[in-house]
Amino acid sequence: MNFGYSPEQEALRSEVQTFIRDNVTDELVEEMDIHSGTDRPRGRGPLGQALYRQIGERGWLGIAYPSEYGGQGGSRIDQYIVEEEFLRAGIQISMIGSGAPAILAAGTEEQKRYYIPRLIRGEVSFCLGFTEPHAGADLANLRCSAVRDGDEFVINGQKMYTTSAHVSTHIYLMARTDRTASKHKGISIFIFPMDTPGLTVRPLWTIQNNPSAPKFTTYGAARTNEVFFDDVRIPASALLGEENDGWRVGSMGLNLDRVGAGRYLISVRRDEDIINFLKSDEALGARLSESEVVRDKVAELWTEAQVCRLMTMRSMSIVERGGAFSYEGSAEKVWAPEHGVRISESIMQMLGPHGSLLRGSPHSVQDGLYAHNVMGSFQSGINHGSVQIMRDQVARRGLGMPSSRGNKAAGVK
Amino acid sequence: MTKCPVCGAEVDVAAIKAQTGTTGGGAREMDPRAGTRQFHDGQWFYFDTIECRNNFTMQPDRYLSGQG
Repeated sequence: MNFGYSPEQEALRSEVQTFIRDNVTDELVEEMDIHSGTDRPRGRGPLGQALYRQIGERGWLGIAYPSEYGGQGGSRIDQYIVEEEFLRAGIQISMIGSGAPAILAAGTEEQKRYYIPRLIRGEVSFCLGFTEPHAGADLANLRCSAVRDGDEFVINGQKMYTTSAHVSTHIYLMARTDRTASKHKGISIFIFPMDTPGLTVRPLWTIQNNPSAPKFTTYGAARTNEVFFDDVRIPASALLGEENDGWRVGSMGLNLDRVGAGRYLISVRRDEDIINFLKSDEALGARLSESEVVRDKVAELWTEAQVCRLMTMRSMSIVERGGAFSYEGSAEKVWAPEHGVRISESIMQMLGPHGSLLRGSPHSVQDGLYAHNVMGSFQSGINHGSVQIMRDQVARRGLGMPSSRGNKAAGVK
Repeated sequence: MTKCPVCGAEVDVAAIKAQTGTTGGGAREMDPRAGTRQFHDGQWFYFDTIECRNNFTMQPDRYLSGQG
């Protein structure tokens, strides 16, 4: 087992770092900001489009995706390296949560040829229409309905906490297509444009709103959304995979979407930020860096962060080999957010009262970055599958434990 | 107009559903201050506040049976 990068991969990282140093400006980062309440689709402004062209010309977009769908047919590790460096610079070119793996696994040829190249180029982006007022952690309880009417489906219902619905071009919707089936059956996945008549979006403002989080905040989005569907008619060709097989397709897609640099860096970025701050010329950082308690804590947290990295590399290695992948992403999704909470609390203790000051306040540390990170850290354990649900998946799929009483009652094997 | 099934306040359905903007992806956008709604057992219910809707979500039978 090789834990290092090959010389070619190290050269790729160096090339990407040089490109970022020469081409990524504050204006570009601002335009592609993923944290503010902006209603601008990410990466679709003039600077973002120019960036996509430049990195596309270098063969850095969609490295691990098949060449017939606009990718490079290359290695996941190479893709990870490129995405990691861009994320570190504040730019998300990764397709975390994109739905692309599910389309490759379950989509029609037409869906693959339409969506994958456009996702890679940043021309299309999905929001995930999963959670409902009745169905969050218990997602299979969803009630949004899709009724077949000839060559169409008619959607009625609502979704809640739909991150990025206000900036996405399409929705990746989980809806009930058979009300008579058990709750994990009778669910289907659909992908269709956000401007489809009958679809409306209502903003929900998060803990990060007013003041909005500074850039580089993890889980700093000021806005999430509700989405309503009133007799929304979509063609049957919007169905992803088989009708009534949406629970399997959606779960598999979520698992694969968790693999990569995005998840890892969301959790460990805080470690890198505080280490850089302690090593900087800032008076507070320099004073704290001499404290034995602070040095001990930072070393402990850095060590925990390396566990995140190794879990991510292991998951990528399994997917790269085409191996069975079921609970490994869930295990990452337990460890990484809980590490994020621990480091956020520890940083607050290190910084003292200054650390609690929000963006825009006099005396705030790095424009309130760490205070906003504390608020965001709790979100990361809830979004995209709560850590409690993830632990249950690890117990059942990874450790071979029998289903809990609640799951048995719901028909989950 | 209809009545909020939780608190009984008058709710303007047209205002709740009225388009007040367009998102970056081209979707119709609504004003969250106008009230909200919920799809329950195949039909829409309208509420003056999200707090009322939360109460309804927890105990729909209580409010539908008129015991709220």
